[in-house]
Amino acid sequence: MKQEKVIQLQNISKSFDGEKILNNINLYIRDKEFITLLGPSGCGKTTMLRLIAGFETPDEGTILFEGKPINDVPPYQRSVNTVFQKYALFPHLNVFENIAFGLRLKKLPEEQIRKQVKDMLALVNLKGFERRNVERLSGGQQQRVAIARALINHPKVLLLDEPLAALDLKLRKDMQVELKNMQKRTGITFIYVTHDQEEALSMSDTVMVIAEGEIQQIGTPTDIYNEPVNAFVADFIGESNILDGVMTADYKATFSGHTFDCVDSGFEKNEKVDIVVRPEDVDVVPCERGMLVGDVTGVTFKGVHYEIIVDIRGFKWMIQSTDYVAPGDHIGLSIDPDAIHVMKKSRFSNMFGDYSSFSDELEKLSDLSEEENE
Amino acid sequence: MKTINKIYTVLILFMLYAPILVLMLFSFNSTSNTGVFTGFSFYWYRELFRSAAAFAALKNTLVLAISSAVLSTLIGTMAAIGLRKMRNKYVKGLITSVTNIPMMNPDIVTGISMMLLFVFVGTMLGQQDKLNFWTLLIAHTTFNIPYVYLNVSPKFQQMDKHLPEAALDLGCTPLQAFFKVELPCIFSGIVTGFIIAFTMSLDDFVISYFCSGSDFQTLPILIYSMTKKEVTPDIYALSTLMIVAILTLLILSNLSGSKEERAKIRALRKKRAAARKEAKA
Ligand SMILES: Nc1ncnc2c1ncn2[C@@H]1O[C@H](COP(=O)(O)OP(=O)(O)O)[C@@H](O)[C@H]1O
Ligand SMILES: [Mg+2]
Repeated sequence: MKQEKVIQLQNISKSFDGEKILNNINLYIRDKEFITLLGPSGCGKTTMLRLIAGFETPDEGTILFEGKPINDVPPYQRSVNTVFQKYALFPHLNVFENIAFGLRLKKLPEEQIRKQVKDMLALVNLKGFERRNVERLSGGQQQRVAIARALINHPKVLLLDEPLAALDLKLRKDMQVELKNMQKRTGITFIYVTHDQEEALSMSDTVMVIAEGEIQQIGTPTDIYNEPVNAFVADFIGESNILDGVMTADYKATFSGHTFDCVDSGFEKNEKVDIVVRPEDVDVVPCERGMLVGDVTGVTFKGVHYEIIVDIRGFKWMIQSTDYVAPGDHIGLSIDPDAIHVMKKSRFSNMFGDYSSFSDELEKLSDLSEEENE
Repeated sequence: MKTINKIYTVLILFMLYAPILVLMLFSFNSTSNTGVFTGFSFYWYRELFRSAAAFAALKNTLVLAISSAVLSTLIGTMAAIGLRKMRNKYVKGLITSVTNIPMMNPDIVTGISMMLLFVFVGTMLGQQDKLNFWTLLIAHTTFNIPYVYLNVSPKFQQMDKHLPEAALDLGCTPLQAFFKVELPCIFSGIVTGFIIAFTMSLDDFVISYFCSGSDFQTLPILIYSMTKKEVTPDIYALSTLMIVAILTLLILSNLSGSKEERAKIRALRKKRAAARKEAKA
């Protein structure tokens, strides 16, 4: 299926106060797709959206909308609408007037405005909320008003900046489904920003992973999860054990002192590589049948499975298993060829992947500090 | 302890307001006796309304208060608008301190320095009446601007800084975004600023005393000149009227502010309750 490119960024760079926030970004966004910009806090996601919306101008490069450069087009003339991170609803207007704002500017007749707002309220499940004060709505309801206010203008592209970040977990899950449905029903291109990898994987047609102002990888959620291009992506998306390895031959990878069969080829002989093994792809077996053997140093019950930390030659692996093993046990591990993913070395090599300092407490702490950064 | 606290508070309030209460009481006295309340009457109010000088002064005061409040509201609001996007916090701090100086400065210093300036400039321009309505207007507008600025500028800080961008995003030109979104958000600040400026102008004696000429007198100045001869209860009546007017305005301006606060608190409470409900569900 060949789809039209709605938005293209060509060689876009942007600096603030002499610091390069976006570095030579090149990408295109296809019509009617749900694309997610995924990356840690501060990597430049919001800046990229603001460039597309027209609130910032790039230092270098061109932004194209349906093939035409729009660098000099002001925000109010772009057929792009934004759902702001903290909603930015107009406090002096009620729900109806907030949603009708764009239509009033277009000077549409009153009945038409009334009808469209009504339809929109139905779409976002806020029937009967017309006269409500927006400041007295719950976070989830404000969120819906913000979406309705943007969608009513039938933009070509809707930009959403971490729209669910302020909602609690359950509501967030529900809204993810609703947003995805809205996108399908309206056929509007969604450019969605989040730092939550689970959200990105579950909603998107295309995921774009950004780090340090550069695009690391663009692909479908499955591609990104199964075939991460480097250690950063592997670590950021889901849990992964990332190991130093050597490709001794096509389909042969050596790491942790064992040569494994794998499905990757095309590397130079004895090329140093990064190896990714997902925790759920490792099988626990008796020692004598194990390709690798190690000692269990920690076990955490996670409901569906146990999260087991295994020390193998000083490298702490994380594996997930439904069978219980006790700390101190000597166990064997077995890995199928297609569970081994081989990546070229990158500047992110050796920065991630070892679970030696891992503990739930630490993870919670880093989650908290991330929230504070918002 | 609590009762002592209460008694103390009541005592202080009583001491603060006793003189005013006595003044109000004696404005309704039937004779000009200052020591004894001989009976209730509106005699002195009638007497006051018969005096042409008092009426002229009242008219002057109102004209001055309204025009200086309008001018200072315009200028103060524009200053707040101009400075709202300033990112350099040192320059901003400096400007705020400079705006605060006229409020901190003793009135007598402001008054004398302004008079000096007006006389100096008037002499340079070869004017006859160097002090007149216009000098008073300039003086009042000047000391009122900080009050307006200090009421409007926080409104910009309280406003979500993405609101103007949201307006642009939905199709407003920058000018439309200002009038349709920013202005309504700061409007209550502008109203409060206007009322306070109006009150300050009504209330001012010291600065007006130095900056007014003989042909344009305000009420406070008239009262002062009346007391020079002999204090009669019609002055009490006049003072009572001014107190009531100013009190009303202050209550009004407080109400416009506190109504908003109350609404905000209510909204917050509702939001928390809703969040709790959502968490439970
Ligand atoms: N207007 C600005 N002025 C100065 N620095 C900015 C501005 N906007 C963003 N930045 C900086 O750019 C970096 C990226 O910001 P942002 O795009 O908001 O990241 P993200 O949305 O991915 O968390 C941050 O370090 C931030 O401090
Ligand atoms: Mg952001």
